[in-house]
Amino acid sequence: MSGSSKEHIIKSYDDELTRLTGEIVRMGELSVTQLEAAIDVVERRDGQAAQRVVLNDDAIDQLEQEISHDVVRLLALRAPIASDLRNVFAALRIAADIERIGDYAANVAKRSIPLSMVAPIAATGGLDHLAELAAHEVREVLLAYRDRDAERAYQVWKNDIELDEAYTGYFRQLLTYMMEDPRNITPCTHLLFMAKNIERIGDHATNIAENVWFQVTGEPLTKQRSKGDLTSAPELPKLGDKAD
Amino acid sequence: MHSGLYLRRSIFNVLALCLSGVATLIGLIFLGWILYETLVQGIGAMSTTLFTRITAGAEDGGLLNAMVGSLILNFIGIAIAAPIGVLAGAWLAEFANKTRLGEAIRFLNDILLSAPSIVLGLFVYTFVVLPTTALSHKNISFTGLAGGVALALIALPVIVRTTDEMLRLVPSTLREAALSLGVPQWKLTCQILIRAARSGIITGVLLALARISGETAPLLFTAFGNNFLTVNPLKPMSSLPQIIYEYAKQPNDTLNAMAWAGAFVITMFVLLLSLLARLILSRSKVSHD
Amino acid sequence: MHTGSETAVGLDKSLPSAPLAPTKLEVRDLNFYYNGYHALKNISMDIPEKKVTAIIGPSGCGKSTLLRIFNRIYAIYPKLEAKGSIVLDGENILGPGYSMNRLRSKVGMVFQKPVPFPMTIFENVAYGIRHHEKLSKADMESRVEQALRSAALWDEVKDKLKQSALGLSGGQQQRLCIARGIALKPEVLLLDEPTSALDPIATSRIEQLVEELKGEYTIVIVTHNMQQAARVSDLTAFMYMGELIEFDRTEKIFTKPGKKQTEDYITGRFG
Repeated sequence: MSGSSKEHIIKSYDDELTRLTGEIVRMGELSVTQLEAAIDVVERRDGQAAQRVVLNDDAIDQLEQEISHDVVRLLALRAPIASDLRNVFAALRIAADIERIGDYAANVAKRSIPLSMVAPIAATGGLDHLAELAAHEVREVLLAYRDRDAERAYQVWKNDIELDEAYTGYFRQLLTYMMEDPRNITPCTHLLFMAKNIERIGDHATNIAENVWFQVTGEPLTKQRSKGDLTSAPELPKLGDKAD
Repeated sequence: MHSGLYLRRSIFNVLALCLSGVATLIGLIFLGWILYETLVQGIGAMSTTLFTRITAGAEDGGLLNAMVGSLILNFIGIAIAAPIGVLAGAWLAEFANKTRLGEAIRFLNDILLSAPSIVLGLFVYTFVVLPTTALSHKNISFTGLAGGVALALIALPVIVRTTDEMLRLVPSTLREAALSLGVPQWKLTCQILIRAARSGIITGVLLALARISGETAPLLFTAFGNNFLTVNPLKPMSSLPQIIYEYAKQPNDTLNAMAWAGAFVITMFVLLLSLLARLILSRSKVSHD
Repeated sequence: MHTGSETAVGLDKSLPSAPLAPTKLEVRDLNFYYNGYHALKNISMDIPEKKVTAIIGPSGCGKSTLLRIFNRIYAIYPKLEAKGSIVLDGENILGPGYSMNRLRSKVGMVFQKPVPFPMTIFENVAYGIRHHEKLSKADMESRVEQALRSAALWDEVKDKLKQSALGLSGGQQQRLCIARGIALKPEVLLLDEPTSALDPIATSRIEQLVEELKGEYTIVIVTHNMQQAARVSDLTAFMYMGELIEFDRTEKIFTKPGKKQTEDYITGRFG
């Protein structure tokens, strides 16, 4: 599907493409680690550790710079076409999505600092679940990317709805906390933003899934899905039809 | 040891270079010697009377009739051989190329190219001189024309061969380009290909001329020789090579010297033709690759 | 894409074609034999009018052969045989009654190496016209000028029309050959690797010219340079071992080819 399992006649071309894939996967793993570290510092209420997580985001930005550089180089020197072109194009976009994921993870860590300064509230626990879903999504989509697995990417894309629903539920939960006791308003507002950030991470994971889909099939994964409405999800085309 | 290997190689190199150099030198020495002798002896024997008197005067004569005869004979030879040769060469290259018939004719032409010239002389004697003699009921009718025909037979295969070669050197894309404009084959051959190969063909004709200008044997039974000046191609005609051949045999220093002078004139003529041929070839050498 | 209605140009059908423009050359079941060797196998394709169609493929795949059948230039060599049909304006050009003169005034060809005739620049262009039409001196001059202008060569040669064409640069010579071809006002222009002997600047000029000419002519270009096919053509055909593997819009071929063999070839994975 995604072009060919055959190697290029020019070996170094393959090396460069493999390197690019490796960089993306590494960057993605780093972003998931950041997300988990951010949740960890929320739970531990450790302001210093949170600072370190925020600073770590630079590493992701650094990787994105390298990937951009590699992509420009590949475009200029190899003039990739067909599946190679889609590879390189997708890499550039996926790197941008991962970079945003890293930013959101850092944001979560940053907000954990003021959160740790007020009394702990029970509602914090709900964030965990959201982060788990998001991290799972990102991991899955990275695997899909690594293995050029359009089916897996589509599953991620489809399942983002779970994260959306979890977010909506958490949102309601936080509202009830705030209505219950106005003193909860400050921490709950922070939690709300953090939850929103995690929800956004899920959106970027679906973006990545779309790019993986495009990279493999050469066709866009349409965005006509309305939030929370599973029934309008497009039917997965039979992959077998596309192969020759 | 590497150095031993390299040393051996350089010794061989020097050795091979020396051997081939010596071989070249031997060849050149003789060539130089011949030219030197011709020049020295020829220039020594040059005089104005050579160009104004005829051979009838023997020692007091000149070579005028032989020179004029040679020019006429050569002219007749080329005038017959060039058109036929160019057309035949064009046919071979353009119409009969890679056909069985074409290959056969090319092969026969090569045989004719290397045929002894005296054989061609005898051929013309048999098929031109004898029949015309029978017609005229007179003495054996040796004529300048018959000599010209004999020379033409020698020039013909040279011209056929060079035309054929030169046309086949023209890239096939030129043919395709013309044909893809809808131009028919004959127009293509006459208007484009011969033009493209023009310099090569002219060179071939000049080389053929140089070749026949030194021929003696085919003229013996055809043009025969004539001690008097004539421009009538239906009479026996003298020629330089033939006079050289005869004068060189004489036990007479003056005649021998005149033979040298004749040899010198022919050598200069051939030299000029060769230079001209080279000039034409180099000036309009347009490669299509 | 996934909503059921397939809007893509359907090239997976037996007859590769793209509904871009009316068909100019309709190739059907074309087979070509060279000394008994089966060089082209069941080629069927519709070449659209006033578009640029590129034919790509590895050496020996038959792309040049196919091009050379379109004006039957192959017929000058013995032992070559084409079977099938190529319909140009309703008539089969492979049919026995089709006039070669007519075909060659309708289908012009430009070759890999520029091959100007050993004549003046003016005569090079006028030569072909003269064979097909009788024109007055003034008409001929305007016709030659027009052809040279169309080939983007006029400004460079207008002051030396009486000089030998062999003195032009390679790129100029190739544009002269294009001028010579379009001087006959053909409907189809065949270009057989027209820039393979030219430097990048001269190549760009020819490519620009192709773009300008496609408004008037149906152009078929054989090229080894895939980027060139991508740059100049509307449709691209990929051939391999005498077969037409894929024929589709150029954009599709170069972003998402339908066949694995095409993909392997254009991405440099052929082994």
